[in-house]
Formats: sequence, structure tokens, C-alpha cells
Amino acid sequence: MQQAIPYKSWPLPLHTNTGHTQQSFTLLNDMTNQSLVSPKAVLKPTEDMLSMVSESAVIVFARRGCCMGHVVRRLLLGLGVNPALYEVDEKDEGAVIKELELIRNGKDGKVQFPAVFIGGSLFGGLDRVMATHISGDLIPILKDAGALWL
Amino acid sequence: MNSPSAQFVTSRRIGVYDPIHQIGMWGENFKSNSNLNASASLIVEDVKLDSQSEDASHGTEGPSNQYDQEATKPTDKVQRRLAQNREAARKSRLRKKAYVQQLETSRLKLIQLEQELERARQQGLYIGGGLDAGHLGFSGTVNSGITTFEMEYGHWMEEQNRQICDLRNALNAHITDTELRMLVESGMNHYFELFRMKATATRADVFYMMSGMWKTSAERFFLWIGGVRPSKLLKVLGPQLEPMTEQQSSDVFNLEHSCQQAEDALSQGMERLQQTLADTVAAGQLSEGSCNRQMTNAMEKLEALMAFVEQADHIRQETLQQMSRILTIRQAARGLLAMGEYFQRLRALSSLWATRPREPA
Repeated sequence: MQQAIPYKSWPLPLHTNTGHTQQSFTLLNDMTNQSLVSPKAVLKPTEDMLSMVSESAVIVFARRGCCMGHVVRRLLLGLGVNPALYEVDEKDEGAVIKELELIRNGKDGKVQFPAVFIGGSLFGGLDRVMATHISGDLIPILKDAGALWL
Repeated sequence: MNSPSAQFVTSRRIGVYDPIHQIGMWGENFKSNSNLNASASLIVEDVKLDSQSEDASHGTEGPSNQYDQEATKPTDKVQRRLAQNREAARKSRLRKKAYVQQLETSRLKLIQLEQELERARQQGLYIGGGLDAGHLGFSGTVNSGITTFEMEYGHWMEEQNRQICDLRNALNAHITDTELRMLVESGMNHYFELFRMKATATRADVFYMMSGMWKTSAERFFLWIGGVRPSKLLKVLGPQLEPMTEQQSSDVFNLEHSCQQAEDALSQGMERLQQTLADTVAAGQLSEGSCNRQMTNAMEKLEALMAFVEQADHIRQETLQQMSRILTIRQAARGLLAMGEYFQRLRALSSLWATRPREPA
């Protein structure tokens, strides 16, 4: 049996400046309608999005009530992963996307909802999750990130 | 003494003996066609008017008697009546000409429709109720995106049948792996082409795609979000790929499993969409003015449906790709042949079922 990897083992990403961090802090304070479903990662609304991303093995950012976000979650749950969930209200979409693009950690391209972060970096959307799972590569990646162990 | 109608007939010189009755008959025959009905009733009206004017000219006994007794004496009234007769005759001929032309075009249209119907029946396509997009034009609206798709699908099917034939011949003839590879790649690309066509058509009419309307009835029995369920297909066709190595068998088994999980996740998302859509449509029934807002909300939910069809096709395509990675070229060729033949048989089954002799009611 593998040992569970503790959450804070990844270095925080370095490319956000303090000015922006403060801005995101304010934004998070304004988002009063956040709901986080996973009992594993109870993230308080005031927490910085950066640490949210880095502290979760898997976190899904999705529009509130979006069915595709639901699909991603159900797929991950079906694999035995318990992803953290950040539900985004329509009015906050633009801001959250901007945040995520900064946290991206090296991946190119636009961030779209639902957005899945594995092991602290942006993995991709539903397309990539599906394709990776069918090619059999998703479970090893999840194991590496400590989201799964068996 | 000539009756007015007899004079009317004489002046027309066409041997139509009872114009009002005749036109009434024409009207009855084409009651279903609103265009023809309109013109038929116009004709009836015109004829009535002309008869009335003729009756008016025959109203008094005097002029007609004069005409009878002094047939060779041209009076003003006689002249006028003759002119009116000529005019009526001319109008009548023109109307008849227009009517016959309309009949001809309708006849051509009917022949065309019958041919289409026959063609479609042969392909086992579903035609009938439930076509709310009305893409066949019966309800008057034509969805060109779907019409295009159906046409392209017809061509796709012809090409597919050719490829199946080629594969069968190639495998029987024991051609080289290199040549076989070309056939396999064509086969794969052909399916990718179908997914592209489906993506475009989904934007035209998502309900049409969801219901698999372009497929035959037996194919639709197995429908899952606008197409086949990949994991089921793998299970059905898997045995035909034997012999496989241990690694291959294990890989195929894992693929079936992953596929199943992906499908389940998508199905659950679909159920959720149905639930929220139903809730949206049912909501706020007691408050006035909420209907529009409801409908707007419902419309937004329906937009999400397109993403489901897209994602289902994505799963199908990725599964196909993964199989091509697991199998050898020869196995892949056998797999494509097996899959192609499987669907051909389903289509044949649909035709057989549709044309089976039925017991009289």
C-alpha cells in the first residue's frame, strides 16, 4: 500500500505578484455564494485561490449548476477520487478564469469551465479528462498526485 | 331556344358540358392542396360572375327573342352579347390553361416525393410522425443543416459499404500488412469524418441527433446519446478479435472498463440535465408572467444538450483510437470489418422488419 502523500508537498507557484494576490483576496471576500462540497478539503471563502489549488490533490472549478461540471465530478468519484469543488457564479466567471490562468503552472491555452487541477497544476477540461481516462493514463496521474491509492 | 348554358358551351367550343359541375369536381379532387383549392374556387367564382352577367343579358325576353328570330341582323345588343361571350370564352380558356399547368407541376412534385419516399424506405430511414423539425418539408419548414447531413450520410454510407467490401476482399486475399494499413487508416478516417458531420448537424438540430433520426429502427434500439454505446460494442465485437496476446486482452478489458466509467459519468450528467430542465419547466406555474422567464431558463438548459452529444462522440472517437493502438494491423482490419458488418446486418434487419408480411387486422 502506498502511503498517502500529505497535501502541502508541492511548492507554491511563484509567478503571482503580491498586487494581484491582494486583488484575488478581495474577490474571494466578495464571493458570498461559494459552496464547497468535498468534506476532505473544507476551504474557507477567504482563502487564497493559490493555496486552494495547491492544497488539493484534485480540484474542479465549474459553473454553478453546470451539467458538464457534474459529469467531471461523477467520473472522478467513480474512480475513487474525492475532488474538491469550487462552484463559480455567472458574475464571477471572468474573474475566476483570470485567476486560474495565472495559476496555470505552465499549460498553454485558454482556461474553460469545467477546469480540473491535479497535483496543483491545471490538467485541462472535460475533453482532456475523458481522453486521458480512455487511453488509460488518468489513473496513474491521479495516483502520482496522491488523489488515489490502491 | 337555346338555354344560356348551351350557348355558353357553344361559344367555348371545347366540349365541356357542364362547366360549373366540372369545376366543382376539380375543386373536390384537390381539396387537400390549399393552392389549388384557392384557384379552383377562384375559377368557380369567375364562372359564377360570368354566368351572372350572361344571365343578366338574357334577363328580358325581348333581346333573346330578337336573336332567335333575326339571327343574321346584327344589333348593338347582339354585338355586345357576342363580345361578352368571346370575352368569357377567352377568360375560360386562360383559366383552364393556368389550372392545367398547376396540375402538371403538382403531378411532378408528387412523383418526386414518391421517389424520395421509395429511396428512403429502401435505406430503412424513419419517416413519419415525431419530426418536429419538419426537415422533410411536410410541415412547411426545412432545416437545411439536417437536409445536408442526411444527404452527406447517404454518401457516407455508400462509401462505407465499399470499404467493408474492400476489407473483406483484402483479408481473404492475404495482402501485406502495409497495404492493409492503408485500408485500416481509411476506415478510421471515415469514422472520424462521420463524427465531424455529426458535430455540424448537432448545431443545426440537437434533438434530431439525440434521437438518432438518420439511423434505421434496429440501430435506434441501441441508441445512447446520439449513437452507439462504445463499451457495449467492444463487448460484442471483442471475441472476433481473437486470438489476442495476454497484454492485448488485458488492455481491451481495461478499455471496456474505462469506457463504461466515462459513459456512466455522461449518463449521470444527462439525468441531471433532465431533472433541472423538468424543474425549470414546472416551476412558477402559479405566478403570472413567469412563463417567459421559465422558457428562457429552459432554453439555456437545452443549449447544454449539444455538449452531451459532442462529448459522447468524443468518447466514441477516443475509444476507436485506443483500440487502434492496442491491436495489430490485421486485428484492426478484422475489427473494422466486424463492426461494419454488424451495422450492415442491423440495417438489413430494420428493412426486413419494416417489410415483414403482417396479419390483416
